[in-house]
Amino acid sequence: MISKTAIDHLVGNLGPKNVLHEKEDLLVLGYDSTPGVHHLPEVVVYPTCLEQVLFALEIARREGLPIVPRGSGTGLSGGSVPVEGGMVVCLTRMNRILEIDEENLTATCEAGVVTLDLFNAAAEKGLFYPPDPGSQKVSTLGGNIAENAGGLRGLKYGVTRDYVMALKGVLADGGLIQTGGKAVKDVAGYSFRDLMVGSEGTLGLITEVTVKLIPPPQAKRTFLAYFDDIRTAGEAVSRIIAARIIPATLEIMDRMTINCVEDYAGIGLPRQMAALLLIEVDGHPAVVAEEAEAVEKVLREVKAAEVHAARGEAEAASLAAARRTALSALARVSPTTILEDATVARSHLAETFGEIERLTKKYQLKVGTFGHAGDGNLHPTALADERDAEEMKRVHAFFDELYEFVLARGGTVSGEHGIGLAKKTYLARQIGEGGVKVMKRIKQAFDPQGILNPGKIFDEGDPCTRPDVEEGFRVSH
Amino acid sequence: MSLTDGKDPKGNFKPQDAPRYDDVLQCMRCGFCLPTCPTYALTGRERSSPRGRVALARAVAEEKLEFTPAIREEAFFCLDCRACTTACPSGVRAGEVMEVCRSQSQAFYPLGKAGKAFRAFVLEKMLPSPGMLETSMLPTRLYQRLGIQWMVRHLKVLKLGPDWMEKAEGMLPRLEPPLRPQLPETVPARGEKRGRVGFFLGCVMTLMYPGVSRQTVKVLSSQGFEVVTPKQTKCCGAPHLSEGDRETARQLALFNLDLFLDRDVDAILTDCAGCGAALKEYEELLEGRAEKEKLALFRGKIRDVSEFLAEVGLRTDELKPVDATVTYHEPCHLCHAQGISKQPRGLIRQIPGVELREMKESSWCCGSAATWGLKFSEESRQVLDRKLTNVRETNAEFLITANPGCHLQLAWGVREGGMKQQVMHIMELLGKAVPD
Repeated sequence: MISKTAIDHLVGNLGPKNVLHEKEDLLVLGYDSTPGVHHLPEVVVYPTCLEQVLFALEIARREGLPIVPRGSGTGLSGGSVPVEGGMVVCLTRMNRILEIDEENLTATCEAGVVTLDLFNAAAEKGLFYPPDPGSQKVSTLGGNIAENAGGLRGLKYGVTRDYVMALKGVLADGGLIQTGGKAVKDVAGYSFRDLMVGSEGTLGLITEVTVKLIPPPQAKRTFLAYFDDIRTAGEAVSRIIAARIIPATLEIMDRMTINCVEDYAGIGLPRQMAALLLIEVDGHPAVVAEEAEAVEKVLREVKAAEVHAARGEAEAASLAAARRTALSALARVSPTTILEDATVARSHLAETFGEIERLTKKYQLKVGTFGHAGDGNLHPTALADERDAEEMKRVHAFFDELYEFVLARGGTVSGEHGIGLAKKTYLARQIGEGGVKVMKRIKQAFDPQGILNPGKIFDEGDPCTRPDVEEGFRVSH
Repeated sequence: MSLTDGKDPKGNFKPQDAPRYDDVLQCMRCGFCLPTCPTYALTGRERSSPRGRVALARAVAEEKLEFTPAIREEAFFCLDCRACTTACPSGVRAGEVMEVCRSQSQAFYPLGKAGKAFRAFVLEKMLPSPGMLETSMLPTRLYQRLGIQWMVRHLKVLKLGPDWMEKAEGMLPRLEPPLRPQLPETVPARGEKRGRVGFFLGCVMTLMYPGVSRQTVKVLSSQGFEVVTPKQTKCCGAPHLSEGDRETARQLALFNLDLFLDRDVDAILTDCAGCGAALKEYEELLEGRAEKEKLALFRGKIRDVSEFLAEVGLRTDELKPVDATVTYHEPCHLCHAQGISKQPRGLIRQIPGVELREMKESSWCCGSAATWGLKFSEESRQVLDRKLTNVRETNAEFLITANPGCHLQLAWGVREGGMKQQVMHIMELLGKAVPD
């Protein structure tokens, strides 16, 4: 347990508002958006500058506390959940956009900047920051980088990693790390920057980031295509890609998702359809016109039930916004929503949809599926009730079997949510024991004492020998 | 505790008026509510966010936490603005969960003798009785007439008292005699008659804004509606719900329910967003206490006056042009609690000569929130400043709203800030376009 003296030191340095240790605060800072994982930290700090980060980490080291970085807590794999207690370092009060460099087309921000705030600030200067995870209104850049978040534009524009140019952060021993820069090319030694992206806070604590900005597309066309059968929608996706068209957005929603989103947003989505695709092509006006025509041709060939073009920017934006609410909207149906992040090569999409349907029937579950079809990244979401132990067993069996299917086809167990607490066993299945061993050695090199976000990505040692912070809160599966 | 024991475990809550366990379990913690919550924007503290508050309620239900003073604090620090309800894709109603927790607070932390007596006097005696309320305002009116108000304001005498007294004093509009005793029980329709409506005249409207509701009745009558205003109407119960006295709220609700259903009107209208939101919740509040059909019938008739006029269609042929630039502040209890956002804008746009200039964040709370603005005067000031900055940017002449709480707060803020905008209820604006 953290000592009273340590708390006093923290309060003295960071100020009373930036150090929380009452039970009511700890209770609400030990979760993220992942179901079934909730653990209490011992103290939560909100540093407002690098010096305070260093001070807090020094205290944590002295007290032997695990250090868990946190942004807004919107993660979907439990990355910011303090599974072994300790100190949660919440970066939300380091939220200044330090610079938008219009000569080099970069933005430099503190880690706690909200993703959409950067997007808007860039847009004001006529520039574009593409990564747009579903939680962009809430999520922080630091969190996006730690989990290497994707989004609706991933297909054409890539994910967070593709925009990170430089990082500053703090290592476990209190040393500073600075990696990358504004230079477009940089092959000097190992790329620590790329190692930090997606490391889920296990290698270092990111405090500042420089990202690449690009000129925004000049034109856009948005379509909604409806389908009587979800497999036809999958086929349409494969064929669009095969026709050498890379839309900015190629999203899918199944009937369950369509209905939940419509319940919330009320924008006139077709409740009776088996699936819909939200397709956006963007770029130079001439190219957009050509691609739009080609997309429409594919949709006709596969016999989409209906195809609608969005009337103007506002309608297109409301469709994308509605799509972003899919997961939360599915949560209307049942108390517990368990979503997964399986990703396959796009040529396997149609059969993956078939498999999801088969498994849903086999395990008698309610499942809503949506996702970034163009990336082959699906989010089948089981709508369950955590109070029903038997149903939860079926949910886990469902995902177990689905991941077997995905891995057998060379897919991955996480397209964009990370491993965190939720998918450790699946990771081992995907990369093998050897792969996990190498990862552990890398972790060792950065954090020999294992104090940075322990218990994430892979298990270190026997989890049963770890001290319980508070019995009763250890509800993760 | 096993969570499968019983359908609705109350855990560490008192069984009476506890949050439903399913309601708190519904939150999947996506955090979409965070950027919409004024108290989270102020503090950046998770427990003062909708997601955090629901998680606290869940912890109490799951016996991980007692109903501690911190939860009571959060229950009352929540503005109950319901912005999170609008934002929540999963359908969680954090504001309502906190409203119920206010009721729990009263059960866990009973007031001292003096506090209890004062509370009982206001909530159980004054508010339920329209007559007493109106007489009690008499000294206030006298006080204004005699110019003491001027003296007090200028000598800053009230600085000596607690902050809230000063603010409350500063907020009082120039009072006219209450509307209720003056308004005929039935006002006939003008022009071609379109129907007969009941008018729920709220306490704050009759006492503080009699001129506004007079315009509401005038507008309705000119739109072809016979307006019935029952003199016995009691308080809607919103202040009681807000203070956690659900039992008195139920008694008031039962009375109003019968009063209005007996009048056989096509619709029951109010020009107070706070009353409207409370009236629309009678169905839930009185569950098991009144017949289902009766409650459904009542619920089916309740409309905010803007909602109603948009629904039946505004007769515009007789409207006079009103040369004005206006901006519209959405009362939380209209846009978030009742989902009425487009309708008032539609009405404003239909008035000839009026130019509507949208402000940024029009649906962000103004910081009034019943007595919140007096309990947390510093925080309220900060929420108000954010609103006023957005109002100022529009450079409109009139600031339109549709709720007396917002009206008081905004008028005070505009005056204190030396701004040019005149605050007006949407029915006053419409009233200007309607010939007398």
